[in-house]
Amino acid sequence: MLSDFEAAELISFLTPEARPDVKGHTTSYILGLSGNRDGCRFLRTKPDIITALFALTSDPSIAIAKDCYFTLINLSADETLHQVLLTDIKVLQVMMKKVLDPEFVFSDQICSILSNLTRHLKTCKIMFEVLQEDVGVAKLVEIFCAESFNKKAKFHHLGPLLSNLTQLPEARSFMMDKDRCVIQRLFSYTQYQASVVRRGGVVGTLRNCCFDHAHHEWLLSDDVDILPFLMLPLAGPEELTEKENEGLPVDLQYLPEDKKREEDPDIRKMLLETLLLLTATKAGREILEKKSVYPIMREFHKWETDVHVTAACEKLVEVLIGDEPEPGMENLLEVDIPEEVEEKLTKADAREQEELEKEQERMKQEEEEEKKKRSDTEGSEKEQEAGLIR
Amino acid sequence: MAAPQDDSDDGMDEFMEKFKTTTYKNAFSKDNWEEEFDKIPMFMKKAPEEIDSQSYPELACLQAMIHDEDAPPEEQAANLKDEGNEFFKEKNYKKAILSYTAGLNKKCGDQNINTVLLTNRAAAHFHLGNMRSALNDAAAAKKIKPDHLKALIRGAQSCIELRSFAEGVQWCDEGLKVHPTDKKLQELRARADKHKRAAERDARKAKIREKKLHGEKEALLAAITDRGIKLFQTSKPRHRESDGEEESSSAALSQLSLDCLSSQEATGARVFLDEQHILHWPVLFLYPEHQQTDFISAFCENDCFVNHLALMFGEELPPWDTDRKYHPQNLQLYFEDEVKDTLYQVKPETLLLKVLQHKRFFVKAGSPSFIVVVKGSPFWEQFSTGKKIRGL
Repeated sequence: MLSDFEAAELISFLTPEARPDVKGHTTSYILGLSGNRDGCRFLRTKPDIITALFALTSDPSIAIAKDCYFTLINLSADETLHQVLLTDIKVLQVMMKKVLDPEFVFSDQICSILSNLTRHLKTCKIMFEVLQEDVGVAKLVEIFCAESFNKKAKFHHLGPLLSNLTQLPEARSFMMDKDRCVIQRLFSYTQYQASVVRRGGVVGTLRNCCFDHAHHEWLLSDDVDILPFLMLPLAGPEELTEKENEGLPVDLQYLPEDKKREEDPDIRKMLLETLLLLTATKAGREILEKKSVYPIMREFHKWETDVHVTAACEKLVEVLIGDEPEPGMENLLEVDIPEEVEEKLTKADAREQEELEKEQERMKQEEEEEKKKRSDTEGSEKEQEAGLIR
Repeated sequence: MAAPQDDSDDGMDEFMEKFKTTTYKNAFSKDNWEEEFDKIPMFMKKAPEEIDSQSYPELACLQAMIHDEDAPPEEQAANLKDEGNEFFKEKNYKKAILSYTAGLNKKCGDQNINTVLLTNRAAAHFHLGNMRSALNDAAAAKKIKPDHLKALIRGAQSCIELRSFAEGVQWCDEGLKVHPTDKKLQELRARADKHKRAAERDARKAKIREKKLHGEKEALLAAITDRGIKLFQTSKPRHRESDGEEESSSAALSQLSLDCLSSQEATGARVFLDEQHILHWPVLFLYPEHQQTDFISAFCENDCFVNHLALMFGEELPPWDTDRKYHPQNLQLYFEDEVKDTLYQVKPETLLLKVLQHKRFFVKAGSPSFIVVVKGSPFWEQFSTGKKIRGL
């Protein structure tokens, strides 16, 4: 790695007054450094460089500003960098506010950085407070849901940002504020074709919110009606009988024959987990049963090939068709599990996990052998944006 | 009483004195005091339709003050707004609209007044059922003052009434940006969204039904053409022969042929394909001798004529058969080839399908028809003159 002297030299090249070509080469070089873990860790020891980078995001040269933003994205993807990135909160505050400018060209990059910085609980808390004060989560949701707020930015990474924020109960409270209309605006994005990042972020947000079972009845009520939006990505083109159709929620009835299911298995799994969470209360179970979601799950189960997702589906179906638990056990999330039973269950879970992984390995190997038989000449390039997605 | 002084209430004491001596004239009379009462502007319960200075002098006076052309436009507009509001309270929406419009036409610079005039006019239109006008006025108000809550609510309501649900949701979202906790906006949004999704479902359902029907139509047509049965073209073909070959695809053809299948019978009976893929036809029996017809709504293609004749003539002869000669064993069946002026005789034991497949048989208007005559009757001699007779 660089010596202290070399590092000091670099810093001198990063001043706004430095020659543009020198600045450009330096930022390029640092971007390269940030592309791997060692480089990141090195930069962590040089907070002055990081400060300089923040300053250069306002550089008149778009190329230099861009390099700086991308470097910051890479740095923020590494958790060990969060402490140093947050040392000067004011800098972040200035950056956050830029997102509100409909003409700003680097809004998407800022969203990626914010998303990364909210991944882990400690920094998430700090970020949430700052965001609420300076921008307001309401405004973020508004921008996220506005079709054309900014011509140069898509704001898809606000999805994972919101998802990360909802780790915090304060954020969840805000999202599910009954006196406002916040979470409802996100629902239609569970099927947003154009961006898996946005979709995944929204589903993650909904899943986190469903951990608060006190809100389940409200979420499932007709006024809010979260259920169809969780089910639609799992529903397919298979024709159901007229009777089955009429029993479904309106949005799931008479789906056309070109209906596609969610293609990302992780998102499918998250949706199933969310549905499973909603079965925790008796009221929730009753509503899910009354809305006849079972035919959808039945067809889904026939279609699904990923072992992990199938397992999640089976768990849900078990609850849907199973009997009501005995009194005192109605809220599955609040039941007291005696220690030995807990141990046994944990061990059983671990074993199941192992088996699933073995199954997956086996399937992977089979796939690879298949691939070798066919010629595969495509190489794939890794994207520079390494934003972590929950 | 105090001694009268020179500078005291001039004439007041004198006036008071009069009460002692003169009887009060111009009092309300017992008979019409209510009428009179209602004429006094202050005590009027509602405004009269027409205000002329003869019957309502005081009102005419007030009106003149309201519509004072010399007052500044803002004042005139405000007065007209109040006038409109009064009409609105009386549910006289048409008059209210006139007042508001007059107020707007003053084009006063006060945007607050203009916003209220537009919003109130929107409300009046809404109550009259003029949803499009209500929406336009609400939109105009919103343009002046984007955060005007009443305009936003009215706009959303109008959209819902116009069944423009997506637009309604948009109005609510715009409103909620500025008034995030407003209950009415939230309620309207939920309602508009619900209707929107129901309408989407209805569209999907209709599409699927249409597709199913179309599929059934195609299957029916395929069954008919597979059997080699020909449909007679009664109307000009819709697709031009000279068009590209793509047009002669089954789509265009089937459209054309399906038109020919529509039966002109009042019963609306139509050929159909049953679950065992058997065709059932609506069939006409014609009795030219007596200008009568019989209609069989579903003649199975694998059935023969004998059975139907036995059913229709076996037990009882029809009332129009005055000579009592239409016994099943005496009857003969023919179909006519008009183009070649030929009658083809159909033996009663023949299956319908066989006849339909005859190379000179054309199904007209979706209903095969057959002529029924009595063997060797005088009518038959006459009818068959000049025509060629053939067997199948």
